[in-house]
Amino acid sequence: MKRALAIVAVAVVVLGGSSTTASAHVGSPDVYFEGAAGPYRVLVTVRPPDAVPGIAEVSARVTDSIDHMTMVPLPAQGIGAKLSPTPDVATRDRDDPRTFVGHLWLMQAGTWQVRLAADGPRGHGELAVPVPALPARTKKMQTALGVGLLALLLLLAWGAISIAGSGARDASLEPGVEPSPEARRRGLRAKGVAAVVVVVALVGGNAWWNAEASDYARYVYKPLGLHAHVDDGVLALQLEDPGWLKSRQLDDLVPDHDHLMHLYVVREPAMDRVWHLHPEATGGGAFRYALPAMEAGRYRLWADVVHASGLAETAVAEIDLPAIAGAPLDGDNATGSGPATFEPARTIAPLDDGARMVWLRDDAPYRARRAGWFRFRVEDAAGAAQPLEPYMGMMGHAAFVRRDGSTFAHVHPTGSVPMASIMALDGAGDGNAMAAMHAVPAGATEVAFPYGFPRAGDYRIFVQVKRAGHIETGVFDAHAE
Amino acid sequence: MQAPPDTTTAATPTPSVPWFVWCTVLAVTSAMIGGHWDISWHRSIGRDAFWTAPHIAIYLCGVLAGVSSAYLILSTTLGRNRDLAPSSVSMWGFRGPLGAFIAAWGGVAMLTSAPFDDWWHGAYGLDVKIISPPHALLSLGIFSVQVGALLLILGYMNRSEGALKQKFLRLFLYVGGSIVVLGTLFLMEETGRTVMHTAEFYRAVAIAMPFILVGISRAAPHRWACTIMAALYTLFQMALIWILPLFRAEPKLGPVYYNVTHFVPPAFPLLLLAPAVALDLLRRVSPRWGVWRETMATGTLFVAVFFAVQWPFANFLQSPWARNWFFGTAYFGYYEHPTWLHRQYRFWPAGSGTHVAIVMASAVLVAILGSALGLKLGEWMRRIKR
Repeated sequence: MKRALAIVAVAVVVLGGSSTTASAHVGSPDVYFEGAAGPYRVLVTVRPPDAVPGIAEVSARVTDSIDHMTMVPLPAQGIGAKLSPTPDVATRDRDDPRTFVGHLWLMQAGTWQVRLAADGPRGHGELAVPVPALPARTKKMQTALGVGLLALLLLLAWGAISIAGSGARDASLEPGVEPSPEARRRGLRAKGVAAVVVVVALVGGNAWWNAEASDYARYVYKPLGLHAHVDDGVLALQLEDPGWLKSRQLDDLVPDHDHLMHLYVVREPAMDRVWHLHPEATGGGAFRYALPAMEAGRYRLWADVVHASGLAETAVAEIDLPAIAGAPLDGDNATGSGPATFEPARTIAPLDDGARMVWLRDDAPYRARRAGWFRFRVEDAAGAAQPLEPYMGMMGHAAFVRRDGSTFAHVHPTGSVPMASIMALDGAGDGNAMAAMHAVPAGATEVAFPYGFPRAGDYRIFVQVKRAGHIETGVFDAHAE
Repeated sequence: MQAPPDTTTAATPTPSVPWFVWCTVLAVTSAMIGGHWDISWHRSIGRDAFWTAPHIAIYLCGVLAGVSSAYLILSTTLGRNRDLAPSSVSMWGFRGPLGAFIAAWGGVAMLTSAPFDDWWHGAYGLDVKIISPPHALLSLGIFSVQVGALLLILGYMNRSEGALKQKFLRLFLYVGGSIVVLGTLFLMEETGRTVMHTAEFYRAVAIAMPFILVGISRAAPHRWACTIMAALYTLFQMALIWILPLFRAEPKLGPVYYNVTHFVPPAFPLLLLAPAVALDLLRRVSPRWGVWRETMATGTLFVAVFFAVQWPFANFLQSPWARNWFFGTAYFGYYEHPTWLHRQYRFWPAGSGTHVAIVMASAVLVAILGSALGLKLGEWMRRIKR
């Protein structure tokens, strides 16, 4: 942006600044992860910084009593993952002695890991949590700060000009001597020169600031684009890179739960139908899927992919579909339906054959950015809890979607981190493999997802589990304050 | 017969250096220590916060300079230092020494940079680049405090006689030395051991040092002014090499390519002492030569002598003989990869002979220009009375 007058220019920059938004997981940047640090189970919450390099807030709640915990951030992969600095000793929360907190510096954009080490009566254990460090936006300057800095800047500019004038006029005079007309003219000339210098400095400083802001704007995370169209009942998807880090590729995707892409399709605006599909890759970031029977209408698409670096991304698209005859779903692909109305008090979702999915929740309200457990159970028509089976390597999959579509998070019993991201970490040790094993305990009748709503609002939750060889989908609503 | 006691002399208080002058001297010392300490912190620990000891030392410079200068200006205008009014400059209805106004300006600039820098971290990330707009404002503030202290002392020095004048002269040269220290600090990224066999290194030094040494020495009535300032810089930086590694420090950021256990000191000082001695010797005859001949000789002599001593000394610094506590070339930041030239004691390629000749010629040219500007500034400073 070009600005003509230096003072105005600086004022505009001070008060305005540029702002863009970005998100991974779509509007839900906080990481929730449940895993094992040796003998201790830990629920970890990581709030990545908006600006990178920046400070991530880490909170870890341990189910057992431990003596102390350390935390350290490391790059997810490469030699940097092996050359650890001295870990920080986490601070024990005053209100909850089993919760430990830390503030860790993430130094560049990309995937990091936060390594935790717990020591207690049952020995030593370690756990690594993948954390995406994605510059989210350029923070705006608060008005009060902007006005204050502008006032100081004007004071400094005016002061510099005045000091130059006074110095040239008075400084070399003998004590007590009044400045001569020539001295006064000298002072005025010095003021003129100083004014030019100050203006040049302000204009140059403004240009420098703009250049720095522009560099950072290029560094701000830009999610993958997704182009979708349907041809003869086949959904064709093309991932598009809008330009961000050169290291991000479209041909380096790795399978997560055996699939390169997990696609959620939700009917708009009621969110009363959902499909969890797994399109086939055809190369160069292109995917295809022969759609099942679907009614004509507008649908929103969220496509989860994981890069070899462990970076997980969600690409978003909307599409108007004609009525599609389609083929029956097979394999890991599934669908479900719920009411068109928002019903946050409802805790039971009916399933086929008289069975039902029950949300095991209390009456406490949900608060934004507060980690919690979302527990579900499947009961048969007689009310007996049904054993659950692994569904794509997990006891369940849940999608938390804000009603306006601005937030989407695909969550597992291990948390909001894809298993492919966990397995991509270098030097993570055994704790993460144990976390994966924990995801499929034999004979379990309940599934629980750790998550926190990113902001206040109405959310729809799609929960999918496998029972007796069938994938069941329960649809629930929640309001976060 | 015994002479009666001289009651007139006994009743007159001994002139001394005012406390606010000491305050500005303390301010530049604080910035000098804080600046080097902060860089060492980033090379040793990596991570910091606003309230670290080096940051406090740096900002103490602004607070000391700002408060003492504001007091001096207000007391000269309104209160107990009204007798200073005849030897002050006037601005915005206030009166005070020119140095006080400049130091106060520097203090305000430094304090303005603090919230600006804090916001900058939140908007564009924590410090990756040393050179950023808020850091430039901070540096400008520190430099202004130094110049303010220099001119405040200069005004007193030029109005004093005898022993008191000598006291002010010592303080003047001390502050001049602190300007050399911070000047080399700002040049640090262009003056590392690995680039000492490139012409760009000599040009970077030539841009700043002749201007500083010539300008300040011109205003100082001392035949070894350049030598004293360069010696202060040399001793200060050597003291850092010997003292900082006595204190434990461990990296808090990774990857840790070099296992740091104690604070990493700065590099061994540049051999500015040699050209400074040469400039002082030249000053004994050159003022009779005329401005252009003097500046040509000064700039050329600076580059020639500095090149003659620093180039071979760089070979020594790269040798195993310098890897000890005295010369300190075995200290590395935690982030220095084993393949870096600095870790491998290797020189950056100098480039073709033509390239070296062109850049060295430009180094001589900027040294001459710096000398000319320094002489002009020094002549003006010699006349400062207020």
